Amino acid sequence: MTVLVVLLAVVVALLAVLVIGLLRSHAEILRRLHELGAGIYDGEEGTTVEPSTAGVRTPVELRTRPGVPEPRSTEGIVATDAHDIAGITPTGSAAMAGVVGAGHTTLLAFLSSGCGTCADFWRAFGDGAGTRLPGRDTRLVIVTKGPEAESVSAVEALAPPGVTTIMSTDAYTDYSVPANPYFILVDGPSGRIYGEGAAASWQQVATLLGQAAADAGYSADGSPLQRSAPEGRMTGPERAARADADLLAAGIGPGHPSLYPDELVGGPDAALPQSGPEPGSEG
Amino acid sequence: MATLNAHGLAVTPPAGWDAEIFTRDRDPRILTPQGIEEVVPPIAHIANFGLPPVRGDFGGGAVELMESGAVFIALLEHDASEAGTALFQGKGIPWPLSPDDFDPNNLQRGIGGQAGCQRFFLAQGRPFCLYVVIGSYRLRTTLVRQVNAVLAGITIA
Repeated sequence: MTVLVVLLAVVVALLAVLVIGLLRSHAEILRRLHELGAGIYDGEEGTTVEPSTAGVRTPVELRTRPGVPEPRSTEGIVATDAHDIAGITPTGSAAMAGVVGAGHTTLLAFLSSGCGTCADFWRAFGDGAGTRLPGRDTRLVIVTKGPEAESVSAVEALAPPGVTTIMSTDAYTDYSVPANPYFILVDGPSGRIYGEGAAASWQQVATLLGQAAADAGYSADGSPLQRSAPEGRMTGPERAARADADLLAAGIGPGHPSLYPDELVGGPDAALPQSGPEPGSEG
Repeated sequence: MATLNAHGLAVTPPAGWDAEIFTRDRDPRILTPQGIEEVVPPIAHIANFGLPPVRGDFGGGAVELMESGAVFIALLEHDASEAGTALFQGKGIPWPLSPDDFDPNNLQRGIGGQAGCQRFFLAQGRPFCLYVVIGSYRLRTTLVRQVNAVLAGITIA
């Protein structure tokens, strides 16, 4: 009987140790969950969470894909203004590309001749990808650092013949470019930076540009997309069709003489001269 | 506004304008009547639209892209030996230009709606040809005002 009582006491003691261990483990789990912001008492009335203890307290390192520069700091974005690009071409000419105040949108592609990720972009632009950009009248300008930081001959070999390429370290400073490759889209008339960032391939950049262009109502070739008119109003093509119908009803169709006046509305002075001075012997 | 400075020429285009001061690559196959290699003096192109990288001295390849509000200015230096010829002798800097200086028939290549102006002159003893194209003859009064503003900022050393 005594032996049985002793054994029972030992079993109870072991169970007590086990329960205490489980409770401590549970408490530790709850404490960790609370640190991660999933406290079971969060949001309940009468409970307060100190900001310093909520969320992840251990620093988490976020990294971009290898070869793609990390985003710049918030201060950098705020400090960035659009600027014209002035520098030299790979062939040694002094050159300036108008960006602010220009009548078009400019996609600035900051590239380097020695950057591995940039190789895809040089190749894509060389294949003509840069000549047909989404959006309205978007112009591609490739910018590299100046001759003091880049190989002029390497840039000249990579620069696509049909794309403006300017070497300018000042442009990197003006736009606070963090690394290569980096892209900045500037609206010329407003001088505003529409967007900026890095990408691993030209396809990514083109997709983002295409989405932005579509949001703005333009197709990939720059022509306006047909957008649905507000309820109760006609779209542009519908208005054109109505105008055509009205003109036809009035007896004015294609080729009607009234469509080809001899004089413009402003009178004969407004018309282009039919004759003028002969080109000078100098011309 | 930034200033481009090269080959003794300085231009200060307004914001949003393109500009380039360059010399063509010398072509050894081209010889003067005296049998010596051609001279490739500097050329300045200034425009209020995006200049294509490949274009002719007088804007071929660029003027075809011009819309009605566009302006293209080419300043081409000639060989110094031509400074004493009748083409340049006694002709000073020709700007400011007048709207009446522009005519659709003054274009190197006629393009509907456009008008051009060409002047030969000497500056600092250097012979130059100024060739300007505006995108719209009808808008010449407005566009020539822009042209003169840019020309006023050109410095020839």
